[in-house]
This record gives sequence, C-alpha cells and structure tokens, in this order.
Amino acid sequence: MATAAGKLPRMEQEANLIRSAQRGDEKAFEQLVQTYDAGVLRLAYNLLRSEEDARDVYQEAFLRVHRNLASFRYDCSFHTWLYRIVTNLCLDQLRRRQVRREESAVIQAGQETRDRAAEMAEDNPASDPERRLLSLELRNRVREILGSLTPRERMVFELRHYEGWRLRAIGEALGTTEEAAKNCLFRVTQKMRAALEDLA
Amino acid sequence: MNCETAQSQLSLLLYGELGFDDEERIEQHLEGCPDCRAAKERVKALHTALDGARLEPPPALLADSRREFSARLQSSHSRRRPTGWLSRAGDWLQAPAPWWRLATAAGLLAAGFLGARLTMPPTPAPAPPADPVASRVRFLEPSRDGGVRIVLEETRQRVLSGPLEEEPILRLLLGAARETSDPGLRADSIDLLKQKSEAAPVRRALLHTLEHDPNPAVRLKALEGLKPYAHESDIRQALSRTLLEDESASIRSAAIDLLIESRGVELIGTLQELLRREENDYVRSRSQKALREMNASVGTF
Repeated sequence: MATAAGKLPRMEQEANLIRSAQRGDEKAFEQLVQTYDAGVLRLAYNLLRSEEDARDVYQEAFLRVHRNLASFRYDCSFHTWLYRIVTNLCLDQLRRRQVRREESAVIQAGQETRDRAAEMAEDNPASDPERRLLSLELRNRVREILGSLTPRERMVFELRHYEGWRLRAIGEALGTTEEAAKNCLFRVTQKMRAALEDLA
Repeated sequence: MNCETAQSQLSLLLYGELGFDDEERIEQHLEGCPDCRAAKERVKALHTALDGARLEPPPALLADSRREFSARLQSSHSRRRPTGWLSRAGDWLQAPAPWWRLATAAGLLAAGFLGARLTMPPTPAPAPPADPVASRVRFLEPSRDGGVRIVLEETRQRVLSGPLEEEPILRLLLGAARETSDPGLRADSIDLLKQKSEAAPVRRALLHTLEHDPNPAVRLKALEGLKPYAHESDIRQALSRTLLEDESASIRSAAIDLLIESRGVELIGTLQELLRREENDYVRSRSQKALREMNASVGTF
C-alpha cells in the first residue's frame, strides 16, 4: 500500500488517531469520535426512533470507548469494536422496551410526532391520491411489522437494509456467525414480504 | 429448484447475500420462470419502498450530542483526576505504552532500565520532561518530611528515519513484523514491507507472517504483499497450505482467488482436499468452479 506523505490511507490515519488517543491526546480522540458519530447516531435514531434514546446511546457508547480505548488491542477493527458497543446498547434498550411492551413507531421530534412510514408518505407525490393511499396503508403495515420483530431481527434488518452492511460484518458486530445473521435476515424478509408484498 | 424455494430466496438474492451456487440456481430458475421473475420485481419494488423509509437524524441532534459528550468528558476528567503531582504521575503511568511500542519497533532498547531513587521536592512535581524518556513509576512511599519518594524505571527512546531500502531500517521493520506483540504495529510493518517485496528477506517475512501470525488482519496484509508472486512455486505452496489450514474464511477466500489466477495441475489435489473440509460457500464455489474448468473431478476417489 503506497503511503504518500500527507495523504495517508484511511486505515492508517485511523490507526494513528487511535494511537494518539491512547496516549491521551484528546484532540485525536475527538477526531476519532467525529469520524463515526454521525453513523452511530443515525443507527440509534432509526432503531430506537427516539431522539432522547439515540442521544443516550451516543453518550454511553463513546464514554465506554473513551474508558476502554487504552486496552483496545486491534483484535478486531475499531469500527467493529465500536459497533459491538453501540449494537449492544441499542439491543438492551429494545429489549427493555419489549419487556415494558412500550414498542411504538412514534418518533418524538420536538413537538411533532412523526413515524418512519410517515416519512415514506411525505416522500411520495401528494398530488397522487392513489399513491398516498398506498403509502398510508404501507405505513401501517411497516409499523406493524417493525414492531413485531425481535430486537435481534430488527438490528440485523436495520444494519443490512438501511446501513448496507454485509452479513459477515453484522455477524462480527453482533458476536455471531455470518450464517446466523443470514438466517435472521431471511426470517425478517419472509415476514416483510408476507405483510407488505401485496402493497409494493 | 421450485418456485417456492426460489421466491423465498429473492430478498437475499437482491441483497447479494447468497452463495455462488444458490445464486446460480435461482438465476437459472428465473430465466425460465416468468412468475418468479415477476415476484422478483415485486420484491425489488418492496425494497425500494423501504429504502425511502430511512430517517436522517435532525442536524441539531448531532451537534447537541457532540456538545453534551464533550461536557461529560470534561466533567468526568475533573471528577476522576486528582490534582497536583499525583495526577501528573498518573499521566506518566499512562504514557509509556505507545513509547514502548516505538521502542520495541526500533528494537534498540532492550537494555536501559534504570532503577533510580529520587527524592521529590515538597512542591508539585514538574511536567514530564520533553526529552524522549519513557518513565514508569515502580514504587512510591511517603517520606518523613511530608513529601514522597518515587522509584522510576526509565527507558530512553531513539528515533531512526530513512528510506525503506536502508539496511538498518529494513532490518528493524523485519524484526517488528515478526517479534512485536502489538498486532497494529506488526500490520503497519507489513504494510511498509509490502513495498519492498522484491527483496528475498521481505518475501520470507511475508511468508512467515502469512503462515504464523496469530492475527488474521496481519496475515491478510502479508497475503496481499505476496500477490505479485502468486505464480512462484514456494509462494503457491504457502498459499495452498493457507487455503487448507487458515481459520479465517476471508484469508482462505483471498488465497483461493490468488491460486486460481494461474492454474496448474498441482492445484487439483489441493482443491479436491479443500472441498472435503471447507464450509465457506464462497471458497467452496470458487474451488468447484476451478476444478470444473480444469476438467477435474470435484471429489477424490
């Protein structure tokens, strides 16, 4: 791998940042956080559909990274290590909700309430009544199906469909095999199709 | 393959998550089945509909989270860290790790530990010295005058710089690639050494790393460095062993890709043996395909 001075490959830049942060360089740590934090927040927000919960996951995840960075030894990539923390936090939160049976598709966004499928409706041309009706129907079905997934299924689906991760990487982050992640995704897609295929 | 099986796999097909063989079977089925082709279009439309459901967090959420995190970090620092000399002594304790790595990479500092007894002045200790000395507090005790006595271990650093082809630099990199305990450092060394893979000692180091390094990421880097030589006999033998024995599927995948680029009859036995033990879909399908293309049997007799 060529390493032109001043333009280091991304992995190398990251390794340098990690080493500096391990030495206690707070600027490097901040830079490391800002490399990943938008993605972490987006995942948490989409999974938990609550600004407050997404913010909590963000805080706790990066505090844990900060606390444990000195012992990070490259047994896996930093990305995998970070997302192990993030996915665990999100799964815990989803499980807590499941126990409390408070699962809801509503996003608290300031004073407004919106949901994932409402966004879909907004994306569609409002002038087309047929499509609008379809979107409303789709919204209800999507809400229903997402609510019925187990936290693990939900996580695998989010990471594969919305974040575009390969199943191998999902398996690594969730501490399972690629095959198990594949089985999980297969179950989700079957559920999705059963609920939504006639509307698509 | 029947329609039910084909249709149940359509989502995984669109995600590109099926193995080579499964994908082939479905594609073949789709070619002759208009119903399943229509089903595939419906699933595609469903995926597209779901694509639009992705949410972007409000920009203020990211900015607020960053601000809050920064504040929490600062407050946790001020809570955790004692003030005065003890905090700086703590910093010293944190500091040696990367210095040690550098020292190890240089391979020049095996000696140099120095146990020294220092009497600290009653005023706060000064900041760590600017010259490159790694210090480690080994022992401390209060002294009778109300101060403290600290025993330090110190190791001096030396910095070497120069072109990769320079003998001492190359020798140190070869040593670091093989002997350091930090996989990150080994990976960095291999990355640099790859640029000089025309040199025989570098090639040997890459081979050794490929077959013996405990970290798969480092082994993968070594394998990448060997790519230009994948047609040479000793490299092919090492790649064959890797293909059969490496525990990482990513590395086996990369090894088979390299091996079948230039096929030879000597590969047939390896690939047949591989099919007896390989569980990874990709590696299996590559192996089967290569055997078929070489008109060899996919089984052993």
